Amino acid sequence: MLDAVRGALGKRPSAPKSTSKGDLFDDEFQRKLATLALVSKRVFAGRMRAERRTKKSGSGVEFADHRDYQSGDDFRTLDWNIYQRFDRLLVRLYEEEEDLAIYFVIDTSRSMGFAAGRKLKYAKRVCAALSYVGLANLDRVSLVSTTDRVMDRMPTTRGKARIFRVFRFLEQLEAEGRTNLEDAMKAFVAQNKRRGLIVLASDLYDPHGFQRGINVLRYNKYDPFVIHVTDAEDAKPKVLGDVIVYDCETGDEREVTVTASVLDRFARAYRDYLAEIEHYCSSKQVPYIQADVSVPFDELVLRVFRRGGFLR
Amino acid sequence: MILAGLSVAQLVGILGAASALVTVLYLLKLRRRTVAVPFSKLWEKVLRDKQASSLLSRLKRILSLLLQLALITLLGFAIGDPRAAATLSKGRHLVVLVDASASMQATDVGPSRLLAAKDEVKKIIRGLGGADRMLVAQMDAAVTPLGPMSSDTSELDRAVDAIKATDARADFPRALRFAMDTLRGLGALDSLAKPEIVVVSDGRLGDAVDASGSVHIDNDVTFTYLPVGTSARNVGITEFSVRRYPLDKSRYEVMLEVTNTGPEEQDVELSLYGDATLVDLTKLRLKPGEKLPRFYPNLSGARRSLEAKIQPLEGTRDDLPADNHAYALLPSLRRAKVLVVTPGNTYLEAALLLDEYLDVTLISPKDYADNAGPAVGSSDVVIFDGATPLSPPRANAIYIDPRGPGSPVQSGGELKTPGFDKIDRKHPIVRWTALGDVNIARGHKLVPEPGDKVVGASEQGPILIVGQRSGFKFVAMGFDVRDSDLPLRVAWPLLLLNSINYFTDEDAQYISGYLTGEVWRVPVSPGAGQAVLKSPDGVELAIPVHEGRAVYLGQHAGFYELTAMDSRGRNHDTGQPVVFAANLLDAEESAIEPAKELVVGGRKAGTLAGFSIGMRREVWIYLLLAALVVTAIEWATYHRRITV
Repeated sequence: MLDAVRGALGKRPSAPKSTSKGDLFDDEFQRKLATLALVSKRVFAGRMRAERRTKKSGSGVEFADHRDYQSGDDFRTLDWNIYQRFDRLLVRLYEEEEDLAIYFVIDTSRSMGFAAGRKLKYAKRVCAALSYVGLANLDRVSLVSTTDRVMDRMPTTRGKARIFRVFRFLEQLEAEGRTNLEDAMKAFVAQNKRRGLIVLASDLYDPHGFQRGINVLRYNKYDPFVIHVTDAEDAKPKVLGDVIVYDCETGDEREVTVTASVLDRFARAYRDYLAEIEHYCSSKQVPYIQADVSVPFDELVLRVFRRGGFLR
Repeated sequence: MILAGLSVAQLVGILGAASALVTVLYLLKLRRRTVAVPFSKLWEKVLRDKQASSLLSRLKRILSLLLQLALITLLGFAIGDPRAAATLSKGRHLVVLVDASASMQATDVGPSRLLAAKDEVKKIIRGLGGADRMLVAQMDAAVTPLGPMSSDTSELDRAVDAIKATDARADFPRALRFAMDTLRGLGALDSLAKPEIVVVSDGRLGDAVDASGSVHIDNDVTFTYLPVGTSARNVGITEFSVRRYPLDKSRYEVMLEVTNTGPEEQDVELSLYGDATLVDLTKLRLKPGEKLPRFYPNLSGARRSLEAKIQPLEGTRDDLPADNHAYALLPSLRRAKVLVVTPGNTYLEAALLLDEYLDVTLISPKDYADNAGPAVGSSDVVIFDGATPLSPPRANAIYIDPRGPGSPVQSGGELKTPGFDKIDRKHPIVRWTALGDVNIARGHKLVPEPGDKVVGASEQGPILIVGQRSGFKFVAMGFDVRDSDLPLRVAWPLLLLNSINYFTDEDAQYISGYLTGEVWRVPVSPGAGQAVLKSPDGVELAIPVHEGRAVYLGQHAGFYELTAMDSRGRNHDTGQPVVFAANLLDAEESAIEPAKELVVGGRKAGTLAGFSIGMRREVWIYLLLAALVVTAIEWATYHRRITV
């Protein structure tokens, strides 16, 4: 039930927690992962392993950019032609070829555990599937759970044999804590110097603004990929009459007299919020996928493939 | 405006407490349910919109509170039972006398005057106040209350519906006395609450005078008259009689009278039926107010029933059909058994031969003394001619010159040349006789006992007495007819046959049957405990028998059948039931011109006022309806979320 009601005055119900252990990654799920991996192979047909390039400048062969010479730079990287023409010392930068680091950031705040934890369960499955694909492509896969900070992390690993480690990590995640993507991402960036693709699976219910967390990633040269986990039930709360609504994360209370017109206005506000997120991501060229929990996860993964940005 | 249910202090207290309670409930906020949401920020925009309309919300809440307060006020006042001060809380008491006499069958208004009167009474009922009480009584030959004094309109309507027209005259004095007795003690000082007598009638009620004198209506009783009827056109049969000829009972003559009580000349067709067969048909033209007698002598053919009918001819109109039909029955031709105890009397035997319907048996006094018992038992009349039995017979008897201890009357001294100096000429045994010049050589003075009637007497004493002993009638003559010239006169057989008819109730006078509106006393066979009367419309009802006569107040014209029953309810008569006719035959009742005003004891009846239809005086009903309307508004606004 969306409108978890307090049993007694002043006694707030305990926060919803995910109880998805055990049946989350069953045999059926694993068979679907294998299928998804084959599909991704077909997408990669004819390409070399780890040929995906990062924007990191380094010892690659393909010119990327110039920058001013600084003391200590290797003279061999100076572009003498530029020096002759403009009388400036600039250093050539090359794109460094290395295997891609993929970070899966899962929002495990209380809102993700709302409504029997459907959103968190769905986020786990999607991340597990995409991790498998990444592992199968020999990418370096790491998983992180966040609320208003980094809660837990699975160290970087590669190879699809490691998928069960991913499963164990995901299974032990529970929804608790408040959302603050900005703080969490700052902590994440501080802990992970290696740039890469960051798949952010969240409902983006951040009272401080979802943009801040994404911007932290953008400003730190990460490639964010937003999987916005949504639940249609969130738009249609089953409640009428005089009630006090309280935020399951912050505990903020508001008195509302819910009528049919109020519900209509709420649904409109929800749609506006989704539209705002989508508009933001598209304007910032951040790959964005809206993942409704009613859509089968494998279908969503294929949609991610088609969207691009995850498989190159 | 006054409060009949609660005092002002009580009402104010109740309203104050209830209003305060409702207001407190509105001020107190209901404990709201708490509902968890995943992201309360989404509700902020919605709540901002709500806050923008917070003023409107407050107004809505105030509207809801006002509706509740209005509801409480309406209910509180309804409990208080407010009434207009003019109506008083005690209400009025009315006795409505509805005329159901024959003239109310006139069809000049509506279906009939009676139905129009019923409609008027129902209008009064609709105009009754909540505390008003009313009694409806039918006024005909009797006065019949059709229910208790009640304020229940449905009960009063049923009472009005139960009113039925009769063919009788209304007993107005009795009805007024009944109404006065009913209203006695219900008067009040306030003139508005005066008890009231309402007479709904055409006003053809006659003077309000009876055996007790003129009826006086008390001053503390309002007397009103509601007239019904417009027309006076009517032609009716006001007399209808038939008789058999005394000396030829197979023939009969009819006398009737037709009266035009209206103001216009009327052409009618008069029909006479004998045993349902048309005997005579006559067209008559009657001037206004004309009484036209008709005489039909020397008729024969009909054995039992006679009917007279009048029918208005084309171009004329008769508004009262009730008096257009009259009924009569011819006396039955039963052969009476006469036992004559005589040593031999030619005059007596010759006189009895004149009536062919007499079965005469002669017997000598000696044979009578020896074995006359069985013979007497089956005889209708025993004539003792100069022979007086030791004990009276169990039959009606004529004693000629009775003497001795067996005589029903004691014989006094001998009279020389007595005569009929005094004659009760109204007595049926001396009808059509001339006895004043009868010469009598000698006779005996008869000594009557209490209850006996002296029909003829000389200067010296009674010589002709009638009376009753042990339930049987007798006629005693104090002289031997052979000692007089009476046998040479027509009076002799008439006296004999009159006496026999007197015994057998076969009167040779004109018979017009019973009159409606009177108490009928119909002779039944001795020993009958009760009787069953079958009315013209086929309804049978048991009626009591008193002193050998069935007693009944008849109010409908037509032929009746009466069957005597014994005390166990079994048929007492072995023969046919007694059939008789009843008629209106009332010229005053046939005069149907409605009276414009009604005066009783010099007091003129007023007009009815204060009973307007459609507005009951219980304000609480309207308050309750208003409360229901307010509740409906509240319901609608709640479900439309107007006051939410």
